[in-house]
Amino acid sequence: MAATTTQSSWHVLSRICAGILGSYLFTWGFVALGATALLAAGLGFHEATDLVSMLGFLIFLTAFCFAFIAASLTRVWLVLAGGGALLTFAGWCLSRSLA
Amino acid sequence: MFANFRLSLTWLHTWFGLVLGFVLMVAFFFGSMSVFDREIDRWSLPQTRIAAQPMPSFDRILAARFAQMTEPDPEQRELAAGRVTQPLPEKLKVTTWSAFTTHRDPVLSMFVGFEVPNSTLPDDQIFGDVTIDPRDGRVLSRDQLPIGSGFFYPMHFSLHISWYGVGYWIVGFAAIAMLAAIVSGVFMHRKIFREFFTFRPTRNLLRSTLDLHNLAGVVALPFHFLWALSGLIIFAGIYFPVIETMMHPLVEQHEREEATHTGLDLEPSGKPGRLSPVDAMVSAAKEKWASRGMPGEVGFLAVTHVGSSNAYVSIYRDSTDRVATAEGMHFDGATGRVIFEDPPVGPVETVNGFLEGMHLQQFRHWTLRWLIFVGGLLSCACIATGFIFYVEKRKRTHARDGHAGSRWVDALAVTTVTGMVVATLSILVVNRLLPENLPQRDLWEMSTFWLVWILTLVHAAWRSSALREARMSKAWPEQCWTIASLALSAAVLNAVTTGDHLGRTLSAGYWPVAGVDLMLLATAGIAAVAARKLQARARARVRDTVADNDTTLEQEPERA
Repeated sequence: MAATTTQSSWHVLSRICAGILGSYLFTWGFVALGATALLAAGLGFHEATDLVSMLGFLIFLTAFCFAFIAASLTRVWLVLAGGGALLTFAGWCLSRSLA
Repeated sequence: MFANFRLSLTWLHTWFGLVLGFVLMVAFFFGSMSVFDREIDRWSLPQTRIAAQPMPSFDRILAARFAQMTEPDPEQRELAAGRVTQPLPEKLKVTTWSAFTTHRDPVLSMFVGFEVPNSTLPDDQIFGDVTIDPRDGRVLSRDQLPIGSGFFYPMHFSLHISWYGVGYWIVGFAAIAMLAAIVSGVFMHRKIFREFFTFRPTRNLLRSTLDLHNLAGVVALPFHFLWALSGLIIFAGIYFPVIETMMHPLVEQHEREEATHTGLDLEPSGKPGRLSPVDAMVSAAKEKWASRGMPGEVGFLAVTHVGSSNAYVSIYRDSTDRVATAEGMHFDGATGRVIFEDPPVGPVETVNGFLEGMHLQQFRHWTLRWLIFVGGLLSCACIATGFIFYVEKRKRTHARDGHAGSRWVDALAVTTVTGMVVATLSILVVNRLLPENLPQRDLWEMSTFWLVWILTLVHAAWRSSALREARMSKAWPEQCWTIASLALSAAVLNAVTTGDHLGRTLSAGYWPVAGVDLMLLATAGIAAVAARKLQARARARVRDTVADNDTTLEQEPERA
């Protein structure tokens, strides 16, 4: 650790928050839009929801690793929190049109 | 830290692995214990040391017992009282009855569901449960704790922190950290194939610890990954309640469509009704299974809309000979005719069922069961060697700079490696020492467990002062000796207090108790050998003043 460049503790904290909260929001959006999109595509209810919730954890894992690997922390927040909010909104809209 | 791909992953692996590693030790150790939860139950409840029993007759045994279960669990009632808009009525309306058993259960778990009126949650239900002897319907006292399924098993996924379900979230996040540690570990090392065959126990401690860490990680790589993942999938509904919360109208619409399709009513009719003989329905279900070439026993039986004219009975075959759980058959409670049979599940639900079934292991396959147990212990070994590597790598610089980091990690590592085993054995020892009919016996047992675990932390923290001089903490060998004596005492106490010594259980072939006793003796043996080796090493260190030369190693660039 000592040999490498050290970042400010705010930067580290922000990465950790992005890794946990950002990934959670992104996954939430993925499950919301994924499930409704699959339902709209004609999959059975349990088939659609089970599939996205299984894949959701792999999405979370990918997002979590991405939060620490990506060079730009701004991009991490934009993709995870921004993308998550967008996906959630899209999923909500689609679910209202289905119900 | 995050300058490049490798350094970022190394940071992730080190710090999340370290912080959540302590939680993961608990999850994997008690998960491994849960592989044999029913066997540990038999050991801890001598009055249940009988052969496994099939689901008993509903009409003769279960019906009367269900009718007496009129109260929900007080704790659940209290929680429910906090989420209703009107005060809870004294008597809650019973909605469901259910009973569950597996091929390893001599006792039967029965559950009654109660409606929570005016709740802020949709379809809110709380439960009451009892465990009975299925031969005569006698209820087992609540004060008798089934240590395997009632204490170790919930520990591995909830840490027994029930406050707002926080325990589930901590373990869930630890599982994500496990997955991330596996991914980053693979990228950090690249030489996966070579590490499969690399263990140099005679090289210096840092080197052999890293070898063992890699070996344990690589040997059971699919196990580590799949068990963490399937554990998350089992509780997907808790971690991502997306559909149930955000898209409730969609769920309601689906439920209505499904009810129309299956003919199983969503709501009770409001008119009272009588249940026709359920045993006849069970026979009909068994006949149908046999006619399809898959005869079997009932694993799960449920009555929905209890007392209503549209009550229905659902019967599920057990999973003794397969991984995934079974399709159900649903009978009209009033007429006893089949209303609906679950169709075979599609590919997605087959995968889902397989992942969950593999984790829960209700199937009968002892070789696989043992392999899963070994897999869990390998996960523990991988995590524990991670802690030791962390300490060994830093203890000299930390000692030199007066930094307490490695000292605390060492104390926590002792607590979650040997300390956890000491606490586990203590609850078994105290289980055999407490009077059989002591009121709140379960509370005494659980309190002993927590108290002993805290004591091991205090002991480890005290002994870790050795780290100030970069020496090994004496807590390791001392707690190993404690493990050895407690494990031996537990086996002896079982023989003395129940008479079921190994000579008797082995000759009778009663493996649940013989197995636990043999594992206790093996634990005692391994712990004694470990303690002696650790003490010999510590003595050698004292004699050998050039010890430091022995532990310099070529810095591994990827672990820098």
